[in-house]
Formats: sequence, C-alpha cells, structure tokens
Amino acid sequence: MDRKRFHVVHEEQPDRHVVYIKGELDLAAAEQFQHAVEPLAGDASKPLVIRLEELTYIDSTGIGMFVALLKTRKKQGAPFAIENVPPKVQRLFDLTGVSYLFSTMNDTTERIEGQS
Amino acid sequence: MKEHETVVQLSMPADAQFIDVARLTLYGLAAKMGFSYEEIEDMKVAVSEACNNAVLHAYNGRGGVIHLRFEMRADALSIIIKDEGKGFDYKRAAKQAAPLSAKPLEDVKAGGLGLFLMEALMDDVTVTTKGGTEVRLTKFRHRGEGEHAHDSISPSSVQEQA
Repeated sequence: MDRKRFHVVHEEQPDRHVVYIKGELDLAAAEQFQHAVEPLAGDASKPLVIRLEELTYIDSTGIGMFVALLKTRKKQGAPFAIENVPPKVQRLFDLTGVSYLFSTMNDTTERIEGQS
Repeated sequence: MKEHETVVQLSMPADAQFIDVARLTLYGLAAKMGFSYEEIEDMKVAVSEACNNAVLHAYNGRGGVIHLRFEMRADALSIIIKDEGKGFDYKRAAKQAAPLSAKPLEDVKAGGLGLFLMEALMDDVTVTTKGGTEVRLTKFRHRGEGEHAHDSISPSSVQEQA
C-alpha cells in the first residue's frame, strides 16, 4: 500500500460517526476530504470523531479544514473530537493553535469518550 | 555560483498534484545532507506552503510553472520557490500571520497560516515579489542533530572535496 496516498474511511457506529484519515492530507487531497466529511459534519445528531493515527502529512490546507469543521460543529453544539494524533501532526496543531481550539471543545470531547 | 554550493533545480506544473514531488525531492536532498527527521518534516511543510500559495494565487488556476531551486551548502539548505504569476499578497498575509489561538474561533481564517508556518518552521524566510513571487526558505544545520550529521566537516575540508 502506498503510505502517502490519501484516503478516508467512514465507519457509522450506532452512537457516533468515526472517520479514519490516512496518508497525506495536502492541497491535492483537500477536495476528497471535504466531500467525505462535510455531510457528516452536518449531522448534529451524532458525535463526530476523526482518527488520525495513519495521517502521514498535514499543512495549512488540512489545518484550515479542521478549523472549519470545528466552527460548523460548535455552531450546532455538536460534539467533535480528533483522536490518535501522531506526534508530528500534534506539533503543527500546537504551533498553529489548533490544539487550543480543540481544548476549548473539551466538554464535548469528554462526552464522546464517555460513550466509547 | 557561491563557494561550496551544490544546486539542484526542478521545474514543475503549478498544480496541486505535483506538490508531493517537491516534498520528495526535498526529502532526498535534506536526508543526504544529514538533517534530522524532525527538521526534514518541518522543511516539507514549509516548502509545501510556498507551493500551495503559488498554485492557489499565482496563476488564477490557468496553469503555470513553479521553479524550485535547492542550494546545498555545508552549513545550510536554502530552497527557493519561484513562480511567474500575479503573486500572492504576502504583505497582507504577513499581517495575518499569527497562530490561531491568538484569536477567538469565530475570527479564525486559514489565510496567513501558511506564511506563519513557514516562519515558524524555517530559520529564515524572505519573500520577493517582482515579476512573480520568489520565496527563499533557509534551514541551518545545527550541531549534533541528524543521524548522518557530518559535524566534523569544516569549510576547509569541504573545499578540499570540491
């Protein structure tokens, strides 16, 4: 398998949407990510969890999309969390302040974890 | 050409599908120079950000070329990313180049984030806009870092090899 090739897997669980993103989330992959996640972000009836353990690359394109998702979910008061963030992705989230934005969603994150 | 400098050049379509090629080239050259995994990851993001701006802003989606120039020196790697398009407004972006945590979520825009990352991840960033945009990113080699770091190589020994 090509470790770099971006792909998205959606797993609909009874109590939440889980999305696995794999490979490199760059400008070339942005549209694919958008198409896959936008409908799920619009479903406020279930928590949304994005798992990043196999994400091998991200830059401002992907980070901007996570911020947009956060905004959408926050507006709806719908839970949203990211899980299993690899260290190099975490570093960029910390640098840009995305970690801080997610920490302000802490309440909802805890709720999601409580259901898993 | 400057002393002790090895140059590798690559011209590619200003198309998102080719930005990974810029990253692969950077990886190959930076690894050869003995940069650490973390330093290479930082440079990959910075180079991609410069390419992103060229793809998104230089040619208005009409297609064009990105020229990459890698200048390998004993003490540093500089990557010059140049386009011939109308240019990304770096001055305006520089004013917005801040981490997201400085702003309330409602005010957050992704614009300026790319430039912020370039500055945060590289040791030196200069942008010249004249007949296109030229971004010069430099990473210095720090002592004691990198698996294959040849810290014993002094400028004089490089000269002997050259």
